[in-house]
Amino acid sequence: MKKIWLIVVVAIILVGLTACNSTEETWDSSSNITVYTRDTSSGTRAGFMSGIGFNEAKEDDSLLVNGFVIKDNTGILTSMEIDEYGIGFISLASLNNTVKGLNYEGVEPTIANVINNTYGLKRPFNYVIRSLDDFENETEKGITLAFIAFLGTTDGLDIIMNKGAIPLDSTQTWDDIKNEYAVCNQDNSNTTIKIGGSDSIEKIALALTEAFAPKCGDFIPEHDHTGSSDGFKRTQGSEKDSDNYKHIGFASRPFKDSEQGSVDTQGQLAWDAIVVIVHLSNQLNNVSAEELKKIYNGEFLIWNDVLD
Amino acid sequence: MELLKKNPFRDKFNSKKEAIDYFVRTFFMISAIISSSFIIIIVVFIAKEGIKPFITDNNGIGSVNLFSFITGKVWLEGTAFLSNLYGVGFIIINTLYISFFALLISMPIGVLTALFIAKIAPKKIAEFLRTVVELLAAIPSIVYGLFGSGIILVFVYNFAKIFGIQSKGGNSVLATVLVLALMILPTITALSEVAIRSVRSEIEHGSLALGATKTQTNFKIVLLSAKSGIFTAAILGVGRALGEATAVSLVAGNARSGPSFGFFETTSTLTSTMLQGLKETVGIDYDIRFSVGLVLMVVILLTNLMLNFAKKRVGNINVK
Repeated sequence: MKKIWLIVVVAIILVGLTACNSTEETWDSSSNITVYTRDTSSGTRAGFMSGIGFNEAKEDDSLLVNGFVIKDNTGILTSMEIDEYGIGFISLASLNNTVKGLNYEGVEPTIANVINNTYGLKRPFNYVIRSLDDFENETEKGITLAFIAFLGTTDGLDIIMNKGAIPLDSTQTWDDIKNEYAVCNQDNSNTTIKIGGSDSIEKIALALTEAFAPKCGDFIPEHDHTGSSDGFKRTQGSEKDSDNYKHIGFASRPFKDSEQGSVDTQGQLAWDAIVVIVHLSNQLNNVSAEELKKIYNGEFLIWNDVLD
Repeated sequence: MELLKKNPFRDKFNSKKEAIDYFVRTFFMISAIISSSFIIIIVVFIAKEGIKPFITDNNGIGSVNLFSFITGKVWLEGTAFLSNLYGVGFIIINTLYISFFALLISMPIGVLTALFIAKIAPKKIAEFLRTVVELLAAIPSIVYGLFGSGIILVFVYNFAKIFGIQSKGGNSVLATVLVLALMILPTITALSEVAIRSVRSEIEHGSLALGATKTQTNFKIVLLSAKSGIFTAAILGVGRALGEATAVSLVAGNARSGPSFGFFETTSTLTSTMLQGLKETVGIDYDIRFSVGLVLMVVILLTNLMLNFAKKRVGNINVK
């Protein structure tokens, strides 16, 4: 009796183990495509959908192919390590070699190709500050303006680049322009500058303030990144005078028509490229905007449709 | 003496001890009122936001129809922020379906573990296992979620392949059920164990004296006597399963239409739907999540009432 039990247990364990190790099969191009997407409030999704010419689907799930999977940035990345027949999109900064990043319209998804503007699938990283007449005191206003100027210097560029986004061009260093910002020569250690908006930009913003605070009288940067919509809302929009108010807000998408602030308060600091990813064993290497649209709206259901 | 008599304090209490007694009682009552008033505050807050989509015109979008909301088979038809065609009917069914299977898996395992810890295991092993169960109960849900997305998704994906089914990267009903079963297991085990331990030993001895074996006694007498407590464990387990958000949203696939009955289909629960994009959304799309919260509270309330009713029917036998 004991022996029979032992055999049963061993059999169960064996089945369990083979279940875990059966990924070594060849990639079958007649399999269904599993579509992964971010949810409708994501800036990356808005950037991706408008990039591939599927604007209607930015905020409308019902236009997407049946049976799509909604995950966040990391969720899509890790899913693509498992799912051999999945396709998804993530920000270029998150791309690593556990998945395959597809060429877009024949252009490889690299930082160089975003800077020389050949890679098409990208979204802007924008900033917005409070209206110039809406600061509590001159010190806060001065530091905020100095910080915005810092974003456009080569010092700022290096930091943005290190964090995986692709900055705009610049030739000035901070040393060249720091004399224009007298506020940075005084002691600002009891001034707090509140920074918020897009959480996609949080890593970059943290690195920027960390580098900039010592250069500008050790002011205290306070980060609270809650999403692109809050970038404008909390600097010039409905929450600008609430407890959540910010001096500087970020948005990882173009500002909407309803988010046009006063003069000289908004601008772009970088590009973020979006990359389409598939499982490493996938035979597809290049994808076009049109193909992506057909995958996401359900015209292409199996991988052969894309590969032909 | 005159002065003391006029003192109202003296009038009311005969001695200092009585006065202290009175104050302590009042203090306890105030604590109780504060803690229970939170549930009212929370309900009022959620209801205030959650009713908004149904009674206001949502900045020109038009109010949401309650009936089609409760019976809807698609989360949102049309463009977010421009459409009022929300529906949670399929999500309610998904949530109950998933919780049922999670309970179906963890109930037998949990109760048998509890029986082992309470009655069979040697004292030291029981002590150790009890600690393990308590530890499991203390693990935050995000950790279960990470475990789920790292291990269970891979397992489900490969498991589906054995049947020749191409699952969506493992994101499925089955993965959700497994993660939830894991999460409610410690709750069920711990509570069942307490229930089993409090079965009076006289009944057990009686059974043994009548010639029943240990195993017969454990199954036919101990479990039967503890069934009321075990039911309580099930009620709390279901509560946790219905309310779990983080871990579920990592493995469910967050389907936007349904209901999904197939074990390898993607699914969504009330909580995972509330959580998706909550941090980035505004307007009606934000308020409607509170409405989903209201629906969830009603679902939990009804489920608990039903289980409590069943518990009463099952009855209570000779428990300390």
